Amino acid sequence: MAVRSTEEAARRRLRTLEKYGVFGMVLLMAVVLTLLQPDIFLSAQNLTNILRQVAMNALLALGLYVVILTAGIDLSVGSIMALSTMLLAMADVAGWPWPLAILVGPAIGVLCGLVNGFGLTVLRLPHPFIMTLGTLYTLRGVTNLVSGGRPVSGVSDTIRFLGSGEIPMPFLGKFGSIPVSAVVLLVCYAGTAYFLNKMSIGRHIFAVGGNPQAARVSGIDVNRILLVVYGMSGFFAGLAGLLMAGRTGAGFPNAGIGAELDAIAAVIIGGASFFGGRGTVLGVFAGVLVMGLLRNGLNLMDVSAFWQQTLIGMIVVGAVFVDVLRRRAGRGP
Amino acid sequence: MTRYTLKGLLAATGLAAAFTGAALADTKVAVIMSDSGSANPFWAAVTKGALDKGAELGIDVAAVAPAGGETDVAGQIAMVEDQIAKGVVGIAIAPADTAALVPVLEQARKRGVHVVFIDKRADMPGTYIGTNNIPAARIGAQHICDSVESGSDVAVLQGIVTSTTGQHRAQGGREGLVECGLNLVAEQPADWDAGKAQTATENILTANPGLRAIFASNDNMALGAIEALRTAKMLDQVMIVGFDGNPNAAESILKGELAASVAQRPAVMGAMGVEAVLKLVAGEELPDEIDTGAELVTKENAESYL
Amino acid sequence: MSDAAHRGPAAPLLEARGITKRFGAITALDGVHLRLFPGEVLGVVGDNGAGKSTLMKVLSGLHAPTDGEIVFDSRTVVLHSPRDAQNIGIEMVYQDLALAGNLPIHENIYLGREPGRRVLGFTIVDEKLSRKMAMEHLDRLNITVKSVDQSVEELSGGQAQAVAIARATAFEGRVVIMDEPTAALAIKEVGKVLDLIKRLKDHGASVILISHRMDDVFFVCDRVMALFHGRNFEEAPIAETNRNEVIGWIMGTRGHAAGLAHEGA
Repeated sequence: MAVRSTEEAARRRLRTLEKYGVFGMVLLMAVVLTLLQPDIFLSAQNLTNILRQVAMNALLALGLYVVILTAGIDLSVGSIMALSTMLLAMADVAGWPWPLAILVGPAIGVLCGLVNGFGLTVLRLPHPFIMTLGTLYTLRGVTNLVSGGRPVSGVSDTIRFLGSGEIPMPFLGKFGSIPVSAVVLLVCYAGTAYFLNKMSIGRHIFAVGGNPQAARVSGIDVNRILLVVYGMSGFFAGLAGLLMAGRTGAGFPNAGIGAELDAIAAVIIGGASFFGGRGTVLGVFAGVLVMGLLRNGLNLMDVSAFWQQTLIGMIVVGAVFVDVLRRRAGRGP
Repeated sequence: MTRYTLKGLLAATGLAAAFTGAALADTKVAVIMSDSGSANPFWAAVTKGALDKGAELGIDVAAVAPAGGETDVAGQIAMVEDQIAKGVVGIAIAPADTAALVPVLEQARKRGVHVVFIDKRADMPGTYIGTNNIPAARIGAQHICDSVESGSDVAVLQGIVTSTTGQHRAQGGREGLVECGLNLVAEQPADWDAGKAQTATENILTANPGLRAIFASNDNMALGAIEALRTAKMLDQVMIVGFDGNPNAAESILKGELAASVAQRPAVMGAMGVEAVLKLVAGEELPDEIDTGAELVTKENAESYL
Repeated sequence: MSDAAHRGPAAPLLEARGITKRFGAITALDGVHLRLFPGEVLGVVGDNGAGKSTLMKVLSGLHAPTDGEIVFDSRTVVLHSPRDAQNIGIEMVYQDLALAGNLPIHENIYLGREPGRRVLGFTIVDEKLSRKMAMEHLDRLNITVKSVDQSVEELSGGQAQAVAIARATAFEGRVVIMDEPTAALAIKEVGKVLDLIKRLKDHGASVILISHRMDDVFFVCDRVMALFHGRNFEEAPIAETNRNEVIGWIMGTRGHAAGLAHEGA
């Protein structure tokens, strides 16, 4: 009985660590950065910068989170983002009216995501790693083909407003404002949280990640769920492409190279389980912030970018280790 | 330039209010590269040149590059923003993308941060500091002119012909060779690639057995050409000049196989980037383009390029 | 389910007629018949590979039979999916439980059939209602849990089995098929699950129980049938047979297995 209760306590501690550890880390980093860079870090300008800088990764991570909930993976988000950015910029520069042009990015994203879903459900490729690795290369190639490997600049002001525009917040000081992209993030995160937690289809996504067999015999159409999650991942990648086009005022072929790895890292740091069925939207955003703060802080201190990679790697391993510990403890009596 | 002359300069142009003597040490300049020094010797030299210049002037210079290297556009944009937030007076940048960096750099200028370009320019106005490849290639061609008899058969290996760098180097090499009275028998693209250069050289040698020299637009192609000569046992008859001053080229020069290589001066680029920013701060007008020049790597100085 | 009882024992509630199931060259079931009467607990026994689980998967809509037909409530039915089976009132409790360990008890019970509002083809889950319904249903079955918000992976094997059974009966299932519900349980939990099966019967449900354990079969079943090598072998009301005979059927012998009796259960 005593043994059992200490095990129970250990399990509870691990659950707490898994649930709130990442928020503690965000807080700790914010405190450390404030101490190290008191004049700069908390300046309205820097905080605005951070929000803007994490926007793309935040959207990609949100999409990947939904995929990882089903114990899947989407390696193609960086390439989807590049293709969306490029086609959007080309449509915009070609003079499409802006309400149509801004739809190009997300629409291309959904289309690419559905292609991934199609490969998994209809072609029955053995693992999403393979299908999305394929589209990682293919879509990057297509991006280079349609653009000839050259950037397309001259994106219109409406789209630039989405990526780099700001809504002035006079109470935040001279350069204080909320980036438009942060508003986009807020809507996407709140919407996804509602979708996952309040709607039956969202719960089915969790069920597929927890036990696909259970989901199947409960009458859940697992293939439909997979199409939905890869479609969502594509949608958010396309939306990230829209913000990217707005931020850079251009479509460029190297957009989002390696971005899928940053997004996966953010999801894992945020406490989602690679084994599926576990994690929270808020945790994912905290994971994104950890990476964003680390980058921002090291940039402010002019520390070599290699430290950023080193530290992110260590944090990822730590986060996964917590997940492993929790699973091990969960397999108790 | 010393600290005093800079201060005098600032005072003279009426900017002393912004930079009092005490604040001079706090003057921050950022050199934002597209790849980091530890990954690439070229950028290592840029870093060193910039930091040395900063130490000489007693100002705070940061030389940074995004984690993802040349393709990490988002990382470089974030770096520009973070440097602005840090309060730099100016940024010398090698843009990772010619179009994508434009909005953030415009933003920088709007906030009073000066921007100059090093090595590569973005699609926007501003001073560009870098190697002008046409005169640089002429330096290599001149070395060939000085070494072989007038009227000899010579050839040029081009890089990727659609790239401006490739076009300029080929142009400088061609003009230099022809102007000093050599007989240009072949000009072939080998796409910066050693293997393609080897094949191209074999073909050129077959058609022109009397060939005396080749100007290769980069060191990779120069070393490929040497392999072709080695196979044909013609290393003694044909001289090769490359471009870039890479370590493996310097090694080949010391072995006596490669005759010479044209090297850019990345350290000068870094130093000039910092200087240019300070000149803009002081209100000076800068030309649209500043050539950092090039130098010839031969047996005499190849040691330092290893 | 009360109207099922009125039909009397003469008409089977669920009948499988000549079910054949082939997987490639392997014939798992060969012309198998099964009849389940209202309010009856039918034990299905057989050695590993005799075809018990395959038959149950056919009856619950997971496998389509190669040949044969299924008659439910005097009507021939074709089951394309577990959902089809659930819709007419056939529920299955799988051997591996088929619960999502990461989800709380109440969500597992209503998984795929969540209570809530339909908006534009989507269901907005009414969590409060889901909890309330789950609590009431568990109460009805005398199943006690700390909280319906506990995730299933935190439960003991017996509790998880109880949740699986609760899930199978949450929608007034008229037929509940259970595949080895006690196999993975600690001894003290077996009794609770068997009691639960009896309670289902009291509530009017018909139950098919697959089990290796003679104790279970003789404790809860009204009738027992044996499969051997994918075919019907024997069947009898439980009152008209005994353990030794049934163990003999499992091994493919009739009548003279008395000597092996004590080795079985």
